Amino acid sequence: MRRLPLALRVPLLAAGLMVVLGLVASQLVLAGLARSQERQLVELAQLEFDGLTAALAPLVPRDDVWEMFDHLDRLTRRDSGLRPVEATLVDPLGRVVVSSHPEAWPLGAGAQALVAAAVPVEAFQYHAAAPEVTVRAVLTHQGRPLGQMVIAFDASALVAERARATRALLLGNLAATLLLAGAAWLAVRRLMRPMTRLIDQMGGGSAPPQAIPLADLPPGDGEVGRLYRSYNAMIRALDERNAAERRLAERERFVSLGRLAGTLAHEVNNPLGGLMNAVDTLRRYPDRPEVVTGSAELLDRGLRHLRDVVRATLSTQRGTEGEAPLSPLDLQDLRVLIEPEAERNGQRLDWAVRAAPSCLAGLPAGPVRQVVLNLALNACASAGAGGRVGVSLDRCSDRLRLGVQDSGPGLPERLRPRLLSDAPVEPGGGQGLRLVRDLVVSLGGRVALETTAEGLNEVVVWLPCAGAA
Amino acid sequence: MGRMTEGIAGTGFVTRRVALAGMAACAVPARAPALGNGGFRFGLTPVFLDNDWQLLELIRAHVREAAGLDLGFVQRRTYKEVVALLLVGEIEAAWLCGWPLLQYPSRMTPLALPVWQGAPLYQSYLIAEEDRDADGLADLRGDIHAYSDPDSNSGYLVTASELVAMGERPEAFFSRSFFTFGHRNVVRAVARRLAQSGSVDGYVYEALAVMEPELVARTRVVWRSEWFGFPPVAVPSAASDTPTVRQFARALFGMEATGPGREALRLLQLDGFAPPEPGAFDSIAVRMARLADRG
Repeated sequence: MRRLPLALRVPLLAAGLMVVLGLVASQLVLAGLARSQERQLVELAQLEFDGLTAALAPLVPRDDVWEMFDHLDRLTRRDSGLRPVEATLVDPLGRVVVSSHPEAWPLGAGAQALVAAAVPVEAFQYHAAAPEVTVRAVLTHQGRPLGQMVIAFDASALVAERARATRALLLGNLAATLLLAGAAWLAVRRLMRPMTRLIDQMGGGSAPPQAIPLADLPPGDGEVGRLYRSYNAMIRALDERNAAERRLAERERFVSLGRLAGTLAHEVNNPLGGLMNAVDTLRRYPDRPEVVTGSAELLDRGLRHLRDVVRATLSTQRGTEGEAPLSPLDLQDLRVLIEPEAERNGQRLDWAVRAAPSCLAGLPAGPVRQVVLNLALNACASAGAGGRVGVSLDRCSDRLRLGVQDSGPGLPERLRPRLLSDAPVEPGGGQGLRLVRDLVVSLGGRVALETTAEGLNEVVVWLPCAGAA
Repeated sequence: MGRMTEGIAGTGFVTRRVALAGMAACAVPARAPALGNGGFRFGLTPVFLDNDWQLLELIRAHVREAAGLDLGFVQRRTYKEVVALLLVGEIEAAWLCGWPLLQYPSRMTPLALPVWQGAPLYQSYLIAEEDRDADGLADLRGDIHAYSDPDSNSGYLVTASELVAMGERPEAFFSRSFFTFGHRNVVRAVARRLAQSGSVDGYVYEALAVMEPELVARTRVVWRSEWFGFPPVAVPSAASDTPTVRQFARALFGMEATGPGREALRLLQLDGFAPPEPGAFDSIAVRMARLADRG
């Protein structure tokens, strides 16, 4: 039932209620009919007994067998719907005085069983739809009891009437139920239309929710109008939130570079002094070939270093888009960026890339670089001066294990949900943890927090790895 | 539907009948009955009639046409009542049984006897259920037995006198007996198994076999009596020779003369009416004497 759409379930429920209502109503009608039939039968029986008392009572003391028989015979040969089919008078000693069915109840035969099986007319109840009912009453004459009059009534007309009523009720209720169920279906469908419209607009599955066009909003301040406007407001708020999240993610990408800015300036600045000295030396001793050669070497090394730093920065800044596969060169770039940061903090950096290039190539370079950069910078910040930082890439069966270790105090509890769950994030905090999570999830991976054998905190990222081992 | 009646007092009723007749004799001593407002009143019992208005209308039409008499019918349940009416002059004629005539030989005179199958004679039958294995009255011992009328020759006297002849007591031979006050009712009682056997007028039984074969088929004749004078139309002796009665007698003897008369005879399955022969009821008298001898 729960699998059925609401637009089907509600009309079905309405139809079911109609059926129950129909059954209850039918039961009431049938019970009423049974009561009416019982009354009818009791009245008829009473009438018959009264008539028989008047007719038979004077004959009993005279033992006028024939007249009594003739009377009972005519009584039981009446051709009416509800009629006595057998009548027997039994004397106080339990012997047959006369019966309309002398073959079964001959004159003078014992008939206690017949009397015992009959129901006294004053206690008569007609519950069962029996085709024949046997009722008895005491026959008196001038205050003297003459015996028990036992009459079997043919109630088949009543049974048939009940059957007819039951059939009519069944058919009527079926028709009424179908009609009402159909009407309920249409009415509920109409009532449910805003709901189904909302369900359609929400898209379900992959399609994003759509706002309801202004033209479709009903005029006035009705429930449906308020519902649609509330829905549209929710959709707008959702769009705005998504946009904000996108902006935040974009910003977080640059935050990591911003956080590197000092180091980068330092990295650029450090060789600059040496390079300027080399230029001065060249100017001063242009004619000394060994000095020129030495300075040129120095200049070459310094400029290459600068080129590497610039390339790494540019690669990072190019963003997470792009489908370029991850290569050892990307990891080299990252090392170029992280190493100076670690050195600046007086930290020991353990850089271990053990995964094969073929394994790395199954992953896009942009998102992985962003993940490694953010986690490594966080590790540097967490490890503090003189601490330890590590980055490792290993292949485990069909997955790539990226581990970023640090000797710091560990990720604060309040920040963990940003990395480990999809729960909404409070503004502030930053450090790109949610960006890392989103990127990992988009790559089909997952994030976990562990502790290494040496007691270092480790953020472990598992990524699918398609290449050969 | 033709069913004949007979009426004859059983011994148990003689005292009452004599008293009643005596009273009647005092009230209307030997007076010729005058035609009252109801015309010529003709007494019948339901044994014979059973609401057969068509037959009555035919007889009435015939008598009017043949004798100019306006016939009125008076019905009573028992022979006893009809006999009493006749004796006190409440009716001018009655279709009775030979037995009451023998009870009051000086008070009632037979006027005409129906002729059935060529003779004014009939028998009494003992009948039982159709599958009953019985050859005579002796086989019916212990039955529930249906009589017709306590004043009927064929419906009571024959069986009772036969039992006396067998040395039995009529009131003890059967386990139970009752009167149905109609020969057709005797057949019905046996056919419906209210009674196991019955005493019935042979003419009525044969007539019923033609008219209600399915009813008669549920019974069989166990024993047939000797022949008796057919139940006669009787009049008070004092009025037996009045012009009106003579007219009525002529009408009876001339049933064949009119269309309604012929149709009535056809319904009754009779050939006609004949004047009574002397000694017509002698065989009934024998049985009557046998019962009287028993005391």
